[in-house]
Amino acid sequence: MRVTIDRDLCVGHGLCYMLAPDVFHDDDEGYGQVTDDGPVAADRVEGARRAAGSCPERAITLITATATATATAD
Amino acid sequence: MSAGEAQPFTFEDLPVRDDRDAAWRLIRERGGIVQLEPDIALTDHALVEAAFRNPAVFSSRQAFDSLGSPLPLVPIAFDPPEHARYRHILQPFFSPRSIRPLEPELRRQLAELIAPLPARRECDFVADVASVFPVQAFLTFFGLPLDMRDQFVAWKDAILALSDPSGAISTDEADLRHAGELFTYLSELVAARRGVPGPDVLSELLCLDGDDALTDAEVIGLCFLFVLAGLDTVTDALGFGMERLARNPDRRQEIVDDPALVPAAVEELLRLDPPAPFVPRITTAATELGGRTLPAGTRVTAYIAACNRDEARYPDPYGIDFHRGDNPHASFGVGVHRCLGSHLARLEMRLVYEEWHRLIPHYDIAPGFAPTVKFPRGTVGLEALPLVLTPGAAR
Ligand code: HEM
Ligand code: SF4
Repeated sequence: MRVTIDRDLCVGHGLCYMLAPDVFHDDDEGYGQVTDDGPVAADRVEGARRAAGSCPERAITLITATATATATAD
Repeated sequence: MSAGEAQPFTFEDLPVRDDRDAAWRLIRERGGIVQLEPDIALTDHALVEAAFRNPAVFSSRQAFDSLGSPLPLVPIAFDPPEHARYRHILQPFFSPRSIRPLEPELRRQLAELIAPLPARRECDFVADVASVFPVQAFLTFFGLPLDMRDQFVAWKDAILALSDPSGAISTDEADLRHAGELFTYLSELVAARRGVPGPDVLSELLCLDGDDALTDAEVIGLCFLFVLAGLDTVTDALGFGMERLARNPDRRQEIVDDPALVPAAVEELLRLDPPAPFVPRITTAATELGGRTLPAGTRVTAYIAACNRDEARYPDPYGIDFHRGDNPHASFGVGVHRCLGSHLARLEMRLVYEEWHRLIPHYDIAPGFAPTVKFPRGTVGLEALPLVLTPGAAR
């Protein structure tokens, strides 16, 4: 699984890097950044999922090999 | 009132004063988009997103006129693209990286406030802690002397009294005079710090040059907004949060036992009780939303506390749960106006819950006291929260 942040949607709530500091970090203005573009390590996937589910702007997308899931609450 | 509406229903009818959970349930039951005199109320997160992500139509420009500021409130009363310029300039000063260094000093101030309380066996949490600490945090952040605290409280109370949720503007002489004094104080402060380097936010903002330079009017409007947006909100969130913790000893015990749960508790308590539960926009053109046609000039208000109780997003939405995996609450707003002070506010709340429970793990609401909410008002909070403090092992 990989993760991306949509820069047009992110407004810097900061929940992603608060909840999953080993997957995301903040830039100088407090916007979220994905730390590593590659696959998310297995032990970090849960954190990445929580961050995606908690982003109030739904700016985080989890990309799995088979399907793409935007962090919508459905 | 349009035909087909069950019965006239107004903002003032909401039982926020005595039972806010009931108020939010009542409005949610009426649907995602509801005529709630004098506004159109949005109670559904998806509709709030649709509106707030479209600031060209759902504008902030005139939505805050009722706050009675003498200058345009930067950045809350601006739309993109002007708004984006302000955020770009301001955001680095309010980012987690900039806020974090305040922690030791704020924690020290807080321990000083809380330490004398157990000996008294009782206190009013709102008066003794929640209304005092956010003002101190604000003064610390802005590099102003802490002895301005009580003066700021008086000014802030006056400006908030001048703003009324229905848009009426108070003409009370004393309030107007206080608002004028704050304005004069801020103008003089800005003049004195202009171009004089210093470590605090205000000095740094005033030293910006080139494209980022801000005029005096912009900085004063900004400071005015900080006073309006950054003091009572934290006070009110803390009062509500402590009331919930006092009423739910099992949940409280969880954070006493495991302080690492405090950040999750901050989010959950804010989800249940956003202190700014009514966030307004005004339509610039006729538009469709949630199956309704809204004429230009419609005041559309996001009911954040109702959105935060969406059954589809939150199992048991009226319950307190510090272990919710996802908590995408909208208490700091949605979209480009997302609370600029959210990281400062979170730090303040985390420190209060940590220090309080470290020093005073056992407390109850004073027997016979029923906390009531200041309402109708644009921001809501408890009038008072008398607590009895039971001696017991502090950590
Ligand atoms: C628990 C505490 C707080 C809550 C719940 C809260 C809530 C909010 C909300 C809902 C908005 C969005 C308004 C809109 O969309 O029109 C907002 C904006 C804002 N808040 Fe806060 N706030 C809090 C604390 C603070 C603090 C401590 C400060 C600053 C020192 C602050 C400064 C601001 C500013 C400047 C804006 C305007 C941002 C913009 O328009 O881009 N707030 N706040
Ligand atoms: S939680 Fe969402 S909005 Fe906030 S910084 Fe992360 S991606 Fe951006």
